[in-house]
Amino acid sequence: MLRLQLSNSLKVAKRTYADNAASTIASGLKLHFALPHETLYKGSPVTQVNLPAQSGKLGVLANHVPTVEQLTPGVVEVLEDGKTSKKFFISGGFATMQPDSLLCVTAVEAFPLDSFSPENITQLLNKAKEKVSSQDEKVSAVAKLQINVLEDLQNALK
Amino acid sequence: MLSRLSNPTPIAASSQMILRTVTNQMKWKLSQQQHVMGATRNYATLKEVETRLKSIKNIEKITKTMKIVASTRLSKAEKAKVTAKMIDEADKQFFNNAETTDHLKTPEELGATPTETVNKELIIAISSDKGLCGAIHSSLARRVRNYLLDVKHECDIVAIGDKMKMQLLRSHPDNVKLAFNGIGKDAPTFQESALITEKIMNTLNVDNAYNKISIYFNDPITSLSFEPTIKPLFNSLMIAQSPAIGKFDIAQDENVPRDLFQYTFTNQILTAMAKGYAAEISARRNAMDNASKNAGDMISRYSILYNRTRQAVITNELVDIITGASTLD
Repeated sequence: MLRLQLSNSLKVAKRTYADNAASTIASGLKLHFALPHETLYKGSPVTQVNLPAQSGKLGVLANHVPTVEQLTPGVVEVLEDGKTSKKFFISGGFATMQPDSLLCVTAVEAFPLDSFSPENITQLLNKAKEKVSSQDEKVSAVAKLQINVLEDLQNALK
Repeated sequence: MLSRLSNPTPIAASSQMILRTVTNQMKWKLSQQQHVMGATRNYATLKEVETRLKSIKNIEKITKTMKIVASTRLSKAEKAKVTAKMIDEADKQFFNNAETTDHLKTPEELGATPTETVNKELIIAISSDKGLCGAIHSSLARRVRNYLLDVKHECDIVAIGDKMKMQLLRSHPDNVKLAFNGIGKDAPTFQESALITEKIMNTLNVDNAYNKISIYFNDPITSLSFEPTIKPLFNSLMIAQSPAIGKFDIAQDENVPRDLFQYTFTNQILTAMAKGYAAEISARRNAMDNASKNAGDMISRYSILYNRTRQAVITNELVDIITGASTLD
């Protein structure tokens, strides 16, 4: 009887250990990618995320050092399971890597890269280049920003 | 006869008195009757009942339409609320892990325990311009007002939405520093909240003048209920002084706390606005639903009254005709 109880308690103990082990194995990189008007990823497990940070391009894997990075306009690449990758062009935002391998990316706008039309970009780029030499400081500053973003986008599409 | 003529006043007075009491009695009886039976017997009231019935029917049409409009907007508002909540959650993760608090340390206390003292607080109260949605604006304004009555320290208020501005200006005209209108026509967007935050940051010294910032908004709990809620907002100093910020590997030269604050400020305002909008729309739907039901009740009551009155009028006319005819015989 005593032995039975003992074995029972052992089983229970074993189960909790197994659960813990399973949870540590399962805690790969999780991505939380949110926009003000849409949620792209909601804590879904991914392999790798490449981010356009202000300090340079950044690849994030599981157990990355916790950090806060400001994102510049550029391409966010999400490798979902090593094979398929999704590319989004974002207009800037923040990425925070949490201690529990959760990567939170928030951006103001993000669109899949293949939804951009190269012709429109060249058109807009030409328009912005005309405005950059404007007398009005504000107009030329805005045009400069536009050129930066559009050129990034053009490079990303190549 | 002579005596009467010689002294006409007392009789006239007494007869008038009798007349008055009789009419009073009649009026009382009539009102009793109206109360019990809900019927009076003349043409004027029939017309009155008819116009009243028509106006109530029009009101019911309006409230029903408003209810339908609110219902169709509800799904959009709910969606905006959910997506805005997700972006808020991402920010919250960071603040939870960094253990950011809204109690700023004074220079002497840096390294020691944070203080509980607040010198100046900024309250951002978020509602909208539109009414006809029950007590949603006034309950939030009451919450702010009660808080202002309780606290000792100085408070500045930013009122977002005309309703909130009106209610707070009435009780605390000196505290309201900034107000926005044109809110709540549609689901809030990032652009809207960015413009609001930019204006707030240009007008008020959010980073240095305040050591506590709170956002007041209506949080929709279910589709039927909402609750005035307070959410803390952390400015760049609070972020930089977070006790567990060391967990994060943050580049020192890039001014991350400042940029992060500006970004989360916009996000927080957006989330609060989205939640407030969802709460308002569902409150309006419920208010309009109740109004339509009440109008329906009144309509059924008045149509019964109208029909009864009409019947009574017809019966009266018939009685008149028959009596007239019978006197001719």
